Amino acid sequence: MSEKRVSKATLNKSFWRWFYGNLTCFTQEHMQTFGYMWSMLPIIQELYPTVEEQAEKLHTYYPFFNTEPQIGSIVVGITAGLEESRANGNAEIDDEMINGIRAGLMGPLAGIGDSLIVGTYIPILLGIALGLCDGGSPLGIFFYIIVWNATSIWFQKTIYNRGYALGGNAVEVIVGDRATALRESAVLLGQVIVGAMAASWVNITTSFNVAGVTLQDKLDGAFPGVLTMLFVLLCWWLMSKKKMSAVKVMLLMIVIAFVGVLLGFFDPGLSYGEDLNI
Amino acid sequence: MTISWVQAALLGVMSVLAASTIAALGTTVGNYTLNRPLIASLFVGLIMGDVKGCIQVAIPMQIIYIALVTPGGTVAADLRAVSYIGIPLAYATCKSQGLELDSEAASGIAGALGAFVGTVGTVQFYGTAMANLIWQHIGWAELDKNNFKILTSVETWMPVISHIAISFIPVMLINRYGSQAVYTFREALPMDSWYMKALFTVGSLLPAVGMGILLNSVVTKPTDLIYFVFGFAIAKSMGLTLIAATAIGAVFALINFQMKLNSLGTKAGGAAAADDEEDI
Repeated sequence: MSEKRVSKATLNKSFWRWFYGNLTCFTQEHMQTFGYMWSMLPIIQELYPTVEEQAEKLHTYYPFFNTEPQIGSIVVGITAGLEESRANGNAEIDDEMINGIRAGLMGPLAGIGDSLIVGTYIPILLGIALGLCDGGSPLGIFFYIIVWNATSIWFQKTIYNRGYALGGNAVEVIVGDRATALRESAVLLGQVIVGAMAASWVNITTSFNVAGVTLQDKLDGAFPGVLTMLFVLLCWWLMSKKKMSAVKVMLLMIVIAFVGVLLGFFDPGLSYGEDLNI
Repeated sequence: MTISWVQAALLGVMSVLAASTIAALGTTVGNYTLNRPLIASLFVGLIMGDVKGCIQVAIPMQIIYIALVTPGGTVAADLRAVSYIGIPLAYATCKSQGLELDSEAASGIAGALGAFVGTVGTVQFYGTAMANLIWQHIGWAELDKNNFKILTSVETWMPVISHIAISFIPVMLINRYGSQAVYTFREALPMDSWYMKALFTVGSLLPAVGMGILLNSVVTKPTDLIYFVFGFAIAKSMGLTLIAATAIGAVFALINFQMKLNSLGTKAGGAAAADDEEDI
């Protein structure tokens, strides 16, 4: 009996189904489960000839699945590799083992994906794009569309194939010491960048003054932009230490804005333009 | 200026393609490309006939939502509403009030309006996730009968029905009728009134929330904040651009990585060095 192999075309199909459909039919109940099953279906159909077998193997992927879906493509790749191994009679691989790996990787991968891809990489690209768009030029938008999609698709495809090739061995690569060191260092870079972004894009000033001395000048004399920095830190503190949701923090900022204006602490000093072109 | 039915319908279609994590064009292309206000402004600009103006309006909105992380499928604000309701209405408002689009007043209006319509997006996000339960229910029932083809339907055209009801129609109606209401702003909402001042202040405070969300995703212990303060100081006090600050941060990240590797090496007796090319 010759060894069964998943064809390149089928792996491709599985990857693009995940790429497109990971969150298409998202619900709070099963989250990414349907996207996962849709992606595994071509592989299962190629490896197992009878409908009964296919139904049985698809059952493996019924349980709940949710992670940061872009980095999560590695998990789909891993299970594609495991499924191939199982079809060739590897008795160690059963439903329990596959779902153990899936459940074990969901959390760590969501953490990496949220902080590095969504929390650091995308804001950096958007930051560069914002700079290029200064004055209303679409240059930055083209930059973002091309660079983000090209690098992201390349990355997802690469880790999918890597996951497929490594199978169960991929787990150590993802949660091992080296990967942890790399991740922590990248997060450190993220911390510096968030500071620079806050300084560049948030601008909170006060109009408060006593006897001709403006508070804003005094504050900036001590540490330029310190009021802005304190507000960012306040928002962070409320969310991380006080466990407030982002929506609640937004509502609190609205309250602070209203109270601050009434007390004379904030005054944007804006006016409508004179030339009405209705 | 008002938004015609055709323009409003096109904005509705864009909101479906760009809907947040349940995007009709998938996560990477839909949610993380078309959904971002800055990118959306190009398409809104093409629909409204003023690309430059819409980009200018969108820049302050993008800054507020620069870091929208949605941990575990919980969203603070789905940007489809900010992008495809907020930008066109802010643009129409600025035009009808005779504001220069790159003025501080225009930024204030854009920021404040974006913050308010963001909540519409949150409702749309959870609404779509609820409606999708119907399609998944059909999917489970058919899977019991070994009808695997149902997965393709559940993953492709069925959720689009949710989107038509929850994204397309509301976005179209709000744009159409909202753009007719903006003319009354100037009389109803004078800029030197305390409530308009408060609204603009909201627009300047909300970016701090976005940065707070971002900070929360990269900070695990209080000492990490020192790197944040460092980044803030080099950009504000020393005037470095974001890219220059990234280069300096990368030096520290690299040093940190080398130090971690060294300590791994001593612990594992050089075992880590053996698989040097193993990266993710």
